[in-house]
This record gives sequence, structure tokens and C-alpha cells, in this order.
Amino acid sequence: MNALILTGSPKGRDSSSFLLGSRLGEALRNHGVTVRDEFAHQALRTEEGTRRLLDAVDASDLLVLAFPLYVDSLPAPLTRLLELAAERRTASASPGGPLLAVLVQCGFPEAHQCDTAVGICRLFAGRMGMRWAGALAMGMGGQLGGGFRKLPGGGRNILEAIDRTGESLATGGDVPGEAMALFSRPLVPRWLYTLFGNLGWRVQMRKNKARRPLAYRPYAK
Amino acid sequence: MKALILDGSPEGDSLTPVAVLGMHSALAGRGTDVELVKLRELDIAPCTGCFGCWTRTPGECVFPDESRDVLRSYIASDIVVYATPVTFGGYSSQLKKLLDRFIPVLDPRFTVVGGEVHHRLRYRRYPMTIGLGTLSAPDPDAERLFLALVARNGLNVHQSAEAAVLVGETDPLSARSLAERLLDRAGIAP
Ligand SMILES: Cc1cc2nc3c(=O)[nH]c(=O)nc-3n(C[C@H](O)[C@H](O)[C@H](O)COP(=O)(O)O)c2cc1C
Repeated sequence: MNALILTGSPKGRDSSSFLLGSRLGEALRNHGVTVRDEFAHQALRTEEGTRRLLDAVDASDLLVLAFPLYVDSLPAPLTRLLELAAERRTASASPGGPLLAVLVQCGFPEAHQCDTAVGICRLFAGRMGMRWAGALAMGMGGQLGGGFRKLPGGGRNILEAIDRTGESLATGGDVPGEAMALFSRPLVPRWLYTLFGNLGWRVQMRKNKARRPLAYRPYAK
Repeated sequence: MKALILDGSPEGDSLTPVAVLGMHSALAGRGTDVELVKLRELDIAPCTGCFGCWTRTPGECVFPDESRDVLRSYIASDIVVYATPVTFGGYSSQLKKLLDRFIPVLDPRFTVVGGEVHHRLRYRRYPMTIGLGTLSAPDPDAERLFLALVARNGLNVHQSAEAAVLVGETDPLSARSLAERLLDRAGIAP
């Protein structure tokens, strides 16, 4: 089995999306899957890169889209790639067709805010004749910045969810329901996440030596 | 009243321009001053996810491209129309590229809206959000998802947004009547 893990964050290897995607890659490799990593934003910068990536999409038995939620859907460059992939795909759905799975995380605390983005990926699968394997979705993505070790409980739930998903996908199965539930479990209470998040913006501003107030309105009349 | 129509149609899309035309004349018929922006003619870079628009130059993206002009115009409008081919239930990448650059108009701090966490508003007022999608053939799943997406985008600016999808090859007249119905629903007085 050939898997392609396509990271759809502009931050590439430094992104939380890649942190999750590479862990899934590891889990898949442990079950004998050949895994290739690609980055949507980087590939789209050149025609050659775009073509190579689209070839890789066509050659994969399992495509994993790992991305951050951007304005309730997929980041624009990832959307662009899906448009291009769909334009050149002519095959129709077959029961043994390639699998599509999704790893998505968002900055707000509620995992369900990713639902519209997951729906978009699911319709893309239908359009591509791919079999929809399901999605792991989580909120509080801001917590992932320091890696798994910095998470409460060492990110046990997330790691277990990803590992179980890898095991299932490697044998052509779907994303297990228990894995979805584990993955979406809040890492910390919502009030705590928003409290630290709000403080965090100010800390960042100070680090960046921002010269305007946080609530500045450049376009107000 | 001022309306901003963001045309997210790609090259070769014959449907969305008709929908845009219908919306343009419906808005003009209601005495609205309409600005039409063809996004594919602008040079707008994709968001790099740096959050500089919140923590480095609050309220403004650190990259000075044409997205700044669109944002300024957006804030000065009463109505914004997202016109797009419905793409797997979502927006075209053309429109999405701009929407990803919209986050400077929000305040990064969190607040609760409709029981969920969203961002605080940076400005006192925002234009009413209207989604105008096109589909070449009926696709109820895609249509439903599009309406849900526009509604979610409305929540980001603490509003209830309106949206509709124009299905199949169509003429400017039916496009206009769909636009009229949509504007009625949105409570935009003739
Ligand atoms: C342009 C932009 C739009 C975003 N839109 C949303 C959103 O609609 N909902 C949300 O919960 N988070 C949103 N986020 C937050 C990201 O999903 C979050 O920061 C994520 O953890 C980034 O992951 P990455 O490191 O893989 O890029 C947005 C971030 C950016 C930069």
C-alpha cells in the first residue's frame, strides 16, 4: 500500500498539521505501508512541483489530508490542489478505489467547528471516486505548538487515536469511531484554553514589539 | 448603502458571472452603490499563517498587497456578496485565498457566540454576509454544505448570514430573481 500524507498548512514541517500527519505516517509505516510526505503550499509554487504532487495523488492507495481549519474550511492552496486533482481525475468510484482520510485541527476549542471542512473533503472523495475513510478532528490546535510531550497527559488520547487509525487504514479499514471520539476530546477545560489564549496574544505582541494596540482599527472611518 | 461583490469565479466559469450580473442588477435596483471585485484579476498571496495581523501590525496583514484595499472596502460596505462556484460544497480557491486574508478584521481575543468560541470583533460594524453559489447540475449535498459554510462564516462576524445556490445553465433574468429573493430574505429593503 502506498500512502501520501499531504500537509495543507503554510507552516509546512513546523505546523501542527504535520506533527499529527507525521505521527500517522509512523503508525502506517509500522504496519508495512510505504509513506510519502508532501506539502501543498510548497508544491504549488512551481508547475513542476504541482504536477509531481498531482501524480503522487493519482499513484496513492491512501491519501491523507492533514490541515488546519482556515475560515471554516480548507486553506486556499489545499483547495486549489483539490480543484486541480478533480479536474484531471476521470475514474469513477469503485469499491476497491483509493482511500481518503483527514486529520484536521482548529484554533477554537470545539472540534465540531471542523465539520464543514470535513464535509468538503468527503464531497471531494466522492467526486474523485475515492472511498471516504473518515476524519480525525480536534479543537484547541493552539495547544499542539510545543509537540506532544508538552500536552497534558503527554497527549495520550491523541497518540492513541492516531495509532489506532494507522492500524485500521493500513489494512484498508476506516478511521475507527473510538479514535474519532478520543481525538476530539478537549485537552483542557474550555475556559482555561481561552484564558491562556487571550494572554498569549498579548505575550506575542510584546515579543514582536508591536507598535499598535491590539484592538487598532486601520480601516475605521 | 454600499455593496461589495467578491467574484470568485475561475477562468472559463460561465455560471458565476451570470449569477453576479443578476445580483449586481438586483442590488442596483435597490438603490445600492455596488463595487464588483473580480478576484482572479488581483494579485493576492495566500495567507502564511503567521498571525502577524494580530500580534505584529494589529488589524493589518504584514504583506502589503491588494488584499488590504479589499479589506478596507469590506469594512466600508453594508453588504458583502461571496460569489463562487460551489466547490465540493465550499468556495473556489480564488475566493478562499482572499477569505483566508480576512482575519485581520477580527480581534484575536476569544468570546462566546451561539454557545461556541469565536473571536471578538475589531470594528463596530460589519457588512451583512451573503453567499451566492453556482452549480452546473443539482447536487443537494453540495448545496446543503455551502449554506452551512456561509452560515458558519456569518458566525465569525457574529451575524446570521444568508445564502442561495443558482443551479444549472441560466439566464440573467432568473439569476436576478434568485438574487431578489435572497436580498428579501436578508432584509435588504428595496
Ligand atoms: C487564516 C486563518 C484562518 C483560521 N480560521 C480558523 C477557523 O475558522 N476556526 C478555527 O477554529 N481556527 C481557525 N484558524 C486557526 C488555525 O486552525 C489554528 O491556528 C491551527 O492550529 C494552525 O495549524 P497549523 O500549525 O497546522 O497551521 C485560522 C488560522 C488562520 C491563520
